[in-house]
Amino acid sequence: MIMGLLEELPAFAWILIKIVAILIPLLLGVAYLTFAERKVIGYIQGRIGPNRVGFRGMLQPFADIIKLVFKEIIIPVRSNRYLFFVAPIFTLTPALIAWAAIPFAPNLILANINAGVLYVFAMSSIAVYGILIAGWASNSKYAMFGALRSAAQTISYEISMGFALVGVLIAAGSMNFQDIILAQQGSLLNWFFIPLLPLFMVFWISGIAETNRAPFDLAEGESEIVAGFHVEYSGVSFALFFLAEYASMILISFLLAILFLGGWLSPFEGIPGLDEWFAWVPGLAWMLLKVSFFLFAYLWLRATFPRYRYDQLMRLGWKVLIPTTIVWIPVVAVLVKLNVGPWFS
Amino acid sequence: MLQEYLPVLIFIIVGLGLGVALLGVGSIVSPHRPDKQKNSPYECGFGEFESARIPFDVRFYLVAILFIIFDLETAFFFPWALALTEIGWFGLLAMGLFLGLLVIGFIFEWKKGALEWE
Amino acid sequence: MGIIDFIFYVSAALVLGSATVVVTSRNPVRSALALVLTFLASASIWMLAYAEFLALILILVYVGAVMTLFLFVIMMLDIDVVTTRQRFVRYAPLVIAMGVILTGLLLLALKPDYFVFAHLQSAVDYGLSYSNTAELGKILYTEYVLAFEVAAVLLLVAIIAAVSLAHRKPRDCKTQQPVAQMMVDPKQRIRLVKPERK
Repeated sequence: MIMGLLEELPAFAWILIKIVAILIPLLLGVAYLTFAERKVIGYIQGRIGPNRVGFRGMLQPFADIIKLVFKEIIIPVRSNRYLFFVAPIFTLTPALIAWAAIPFAPNLILANINAGVLYVFAMSSIAVYGILIAGWASNSKYAMFGALRSAAQTISYEISMGFALVGVLIAAGSMNFQDIILAQQGSLLNWFFIPLLPLFMVFWISGIAETNRAPFDLAEGESEIVAGFHVEYSGVSFALFFLAEYASMILISFLLAILFLGGWLSPFEGIPGLDEWFAWVPGLAWMLLKVSFFLFAYLWLRATFPRYRYDQLMRLGWKVLIPTTIVWIPVVAVLVKLNVGPWFS
Repeated sequence: MLQEYLPVLIFIIVGLGLGVALLGVGSIVSPHRPDKQKNSPYECGFGEFESARIPFDVRFYLVAILFIIFDLETAFFFPWALALTEIGWFGLLAMGLFLGLLVIGFIFEWKKGALEWE
Repeated sequence: MGIIDFIFYVSAALVLGSATVVVTSRNPVRSALALVLTFLASASIWMLAYAEFLALILILVYVGAVMTLFLFVIMMLDIDVVTTRQRFVRYAPLVIAMGVILTGLLLLALKPDYFVFAHLQSAVDYGLSYSNTAELGKILYTEYVLAFEVAAVLLLVAIIAAVSLAHRKPRDCKTQQPVAQMMVDPKQRIRLVKPERK
């Protein structure tokens, strides 16, 4: 048996290299997203933001990381020690492993699985455990409230997100991310955000709520429950929650770009002249451009909107987003059945 | 099909390993100076006077139960969405009936006020 | 023995081990988390049998939804560990008897020769372009449409039951009506009067 495993070793090593090639840019992306967040919100609010460490503050994220690593990990006396300690791992791992099925450019994908959409959706549904366990194991009131709020919020918005995904699957006829992107080929008008506009909005809003970001960051609510489920966390264990939150923000942005904005497809496709002009731009660049737009929107929304109240949040999820999807799924199904062009012909 | 899932499995192991490694490094290099005040649960300036594990509003359970039901419905939608072009109008109508029953349940909970929060 | 067998045995050991922890652990939260691990390991076994869709749905529905509810309930109710343990000892004979009866019934129903390996067919790999989910869809909504609609009725019953059991009338408190708030017309709320100059 050991011989059998040894024969597979080169293949394993190759997969490991690919995984590292995904994880390192992802972690760097997370680090610079926190920096971008502070800068962007700073400028929106007429401040400068961090500018001391390195050129224009460019080394700020690394300073933050080093600081967090050397901070003490406090384990409260009345907490459940082991669960308290492992809860950050339960949050981080689902946020990372969903990346296995995400395509970055044509054929640049780690695991080109048929059920890619379902896989990512299933992995994001596990993320709620980290929140619940962290909140409960802390044995602190604020952590408990935060965990409960955020768990109820996450699961409510997961429904509308799932229904919005169904619309995309109907339109593309596949759960494979590459197939979904290729189904949007042709021109900008073929991208799914046009026929699926309501679902696009639903998915976007639910994505923001799923990642517990402003204006739906009630789980954190500094002014009422201090920081929510991770009040008691410090040092690296706090950093892991942070990492997971930003990694899922980037994941949601990728999903939005892939499912509704044609992923790596060029926006100038099918336009004579411009198409050839921009032919040299690699697919990865278009993808990252679209992703950056959604990431910027995350920060922009945070700087612009006041926080929702809990009853408003639940109302929006159950009474606005879910009915919208329930209406639009049959509409899409009939459009596909009747081969309505230019999207489904 | 399985060879496509092997990277996923390895990714899961690496993901777990990364979390464990980061926590491990953090707990080795960081100082450890316990203190009674520091290690007590957070409160607004006073000691805590009751356990945080208090029974909760039943509303949260209701949300969780409704979530399970709707999640199951999503599970039924997935294969249907993929097979839609091949199962004809019959399949479309079958899902129409399914969705109709779901909508009846949804209207029921709406009218009962199960979606209201105060 | 190839890598697939290796993954199978590891997953099977995880399933059995964590299932034992579910039953024997004194802490209900730990039991619930062990059950989560059982489901995840079962999903990997199903995946080895090429049941791609079912394996992911097991994670989505059981791990992502059902076990979340379990954890919600266990964490919020703060179950007394000592009394559960006493009950465990008291009911142990009954539980063992039930286990024996169930196993016996299963053996009677399935006949011993069902367990001979020669009868088992191993799953077939149809290659990369084969979508397990789409194939399932093709028969679920045509051939098995009756079962599918019965499932819809069951879910409807579940919604009605959950709402009737768990929903209570709002207590005596004032709720805001966001719809009414949004529908407000400024003309009803404020009247601009131009004071007359005297």
